[in-house]
Amino acid sequence: MVKEFNILLAGVGGQGVILMSELLGRSAIADGFKVRGSEILGMAVRGGSVTSVIRIGDDVYGPLIPQGKCDVLMGLEPSEGLRNASYLSRSGWVILNTTPIIPFTVSLGQSSYPSLDQVLEKLNSIAHKVITLNAAEIAKEAGSLLSANVVMLGALFGTGLLPIKISTIKDSIEARFSGKAAPINIKAFDLGCQRVQKAAT
Amino acid sequence: MKELTISADAPGQRLFVLGNEAIARGAIEAGVQVAAAYPGTPSSEILETLTGVAKELGIYVEWSVNEKTAFEVALGASICGVRAMASMKHVGLNVAHDPFMTASHIGAKGGLVVVVADDPWAWSSQNEQDTRYVAEQAYMPVLEPSSVQEAKDMMVDAFRLSEEFGQPFLFRSVTRIGHGRSDVVLGPISRERRKGALKKNPSWLVYVPRTARINKPLMLERLEKIRKAANTLRYNQLQMADKAKLGIIACGLSYSYTMEAVKWLGIEDKVSILKIGTPYPLPEELVIKLLKSVQEILVVEELDSFVELHVKALAQENNVAVKIHGKDVVPRIGELSARKVTEAIAKLTKSKLPVDFAALDKFEQEVAPLLPARPPALCPGCPHRASFHAITTAARRVAREYGEGVEPIYPSDIGCYTLAVNPPQQAVDTTICMGGSFGMACGIVRATNAPVIAHMGDSTFFHAGIPPLVNAVYNKANVTMVVLDNSATAMTGFQPHPGTGYTATGEETVALKPEDVARGCGVQFVEVVNPFDLKAATDSIEKAIRFPGPAVVVSRALCAMIELREKRKKGEKVVPYHIDQDKCSPKCETCIKVLGCPAIIREGDKKVIDASQCTGCSLCAQVCPYKAIVQE
Repeated sequence: MVKEFNILLAGVGGQGVILMSELLGRSAIADGFKVRGSEILGMAVRGGSVTSVIRIGDDVYGPLIPQGKCDVLMGLEPSEGLRNASYLSRSGWVILNTTPIIPFTVSLGQSSYPSLDQVLEKLNSIAHKVITLNAAEIAKEAGSLLSANVVMLGALFGTGLLPIKISTIKDSIEARFSGKAAPINIKAFDLGCQRVQKAAT
Repeated sequence: MKELTISADAPGQRLFVLGNEAIARGAIEAGVQVAAAYPGTPSSEILETLTGVAKELGIYVEWSVNEKTAFEVALGASICGVRAMASMKHVGLNVAHDPFMTASHIGAKGGLVVVVADDPWAWSSQNEQDTRYVAEQAYMPVLEPSSVQEAKDMMVDAFRLSEEFGQPFLFRSVTRIGHGRSDVVLGPISRERRKGALKKNPSWLVYVPRTARINKPLMLERLEKIRKAANTLRYNQLQMADKAKLGIIACGLSYSYTMEAVKWLGIEDKVSILKIGTPYPLPEELVIKLLKSVQEILVVEELDSFVELHVKALAQENNVAVKIHGKDVVPRIGELSARKVTEAIAKLTKSKLPVDFAALDKFEQEVAPLLPARPPALCPGCPHRASFHAITTAARRVAREYGEGVEPIYPSDIGCYTLAVNPPQQAVDTTICMGGSFGMACGIVRATNAPVIAHMGDSTFFHAGIPPLVNAVYNKANVTMVVLDNSATAMTGFQPHPGTGYTATGEETVALKPEDVARGCGVQFVEVVNPFDLKAATDSIEKAIRFPGPAVVVSRALCAMIELREKRKKGEKVVPYHIDQDKCSPKCETCIKVLGCPAIIREGDKKVIDASQCTGCSLCAQVCPYKAIVQE
């Protein structure tokens, strides 16, 4: 039985945040857990910030993570990870994809983008553990840049914190992707998972 | 792993769904036969889900031209005895308000359910609006779910209750229900398909004055019956704690935040909680029982103090001296959260907060200056970007002739193009409601001496743009009206509309063209342009602005997202542009500063095009003064 496990996915429209939460939700149900979550869709597709929440466990009621109760924050993009870091619990982990996506407001000179060091310093000040990886590089190794979100999903499971079985999430991935994409995504998952298993030990 | 689908006949099985899918599933289980809607975030996926199963299940599903018509379609089916629903966002109900107000006098023959999605924090809306007041105004009972599972279950009951009491029911969703996700236990699907018939009865259906006088007392009687029944409805539940000093009344989704808050504070056995699933009418006996058992009451609800005011009235009528809190400690603005409810309860119970929220706020304040703004933007390749370039170029040319410092005025509307309020376009001066741009243009032109160029999208044009267009013609308003025709209801997810030539369920139909409508309405200047032919588009819009009297330009190019999708399907390649650095002037910033295309980025001192984002639309190549942007 799981009482409460909270995952916050933060990224930019087009990074596959919603797909990740669907895979997580379906797998959690397959393993017999109660699942709640929500997302902000709306204008997300137009390059705006996207967040999605997946909550697992018997004590979970609401669609949002109570501030201070996030167990794992998945930052698919550095500044978006930082933007949501105040939701972390004191024992919370951050898994951060280090490739920035610079918004057009920076090109227009209306805002500036933080250095990775600045992002990490702030994250380290609030999180129990911060793990970084270059998801695009790993995705390329797996065979497709498009699998970067599944690399991150693998990284999430690499923490060993999740109540969902790895075999279940892999079944979900195989059910979701057809043809050549399925083995590429399974490889992407494995590489992401191994990367964090190594970093966590 | 065999995945279940939303139409699966699998009672007892669990499915992971979006809240709006759960609402649709509830309607499917109830045996809905007619469903109509106009898209609007966060309600669109309800009807979208039904379009996918309409044929298989024998449900008639349509995208209506607007919410008023959607509601009328549902009402028409209901009076003939079949189960019907209309779904819309909160501001859509404003459009449907007229028939909505009289429909409750008619009541419901076939179960009639109006699903209205409120949007606390106005995530994708022009305002926050509490639909429960509108429902009360119409004497329309409200069901408000506390979870996605309950949303599904309530929809099934909504149709049953509507028929049992002969009254339409309003189902209030909110963003975090509709766009919530949850496991949902499925129920059985009703396969009943009724043959409707209209029993003619003018004193029931023809609203001349005497009809309202006949039917209003009947409506009030129905409502009294529902008021009594609310006390035993399973969605209203009173959980009494022994010797509780505080009683919490939590409405809809607020119940989920309340449950988490009392557990977080460790006081779940010290407070009594009344869960409200029918904010109107309230389960009065349960409310009074709670009022009499405690010293203090906290009402938790999203947006306005609807339940709070009713509870205060009940306390006064029943002479219960109990202090009632609500919006004095729970915010009236935005969405609630476990934190906000925890803080409110902690304040009243003088409990210690479970988390140092102040420290988290401090962290947020420290981080804020580091974060780049990431607002949504017009997509790379969006035809609106080209249209706005043409509109603003033409308008500035003409405005100069009005006098020094005269600025063109751009009334805008509801759609993706509203994003042009941001730099660099800054070509949106007003956005109020669907169709409002043409209507307000007719007033602005009477009060100013400047060119007035209004714009709205194609779906918005059919929704609410035609009456103000006729108004401009009839009253000889000297305004330019640009229809930004990207052949989709793009912002809400590319739904078809009367201009696209196919229906919600994919059947071919007449494709209405805004230019034909404009000509038919008597507009004397009507031209159609392709915005990516920038020069021709600019010249046409300039002519339109100079035309004495109302003028219409239809700026037509397919939504870039749909075009990319179609190209991918056909296997056609997108050929991106790139910047020839030898020709590019380091000082020139035209492509970045004039267009604001997300595909054009800086790399050090250089400007480059991100090939993965570029759609090959050619706009930047057309505006580059150095002809430095070329296709690969």
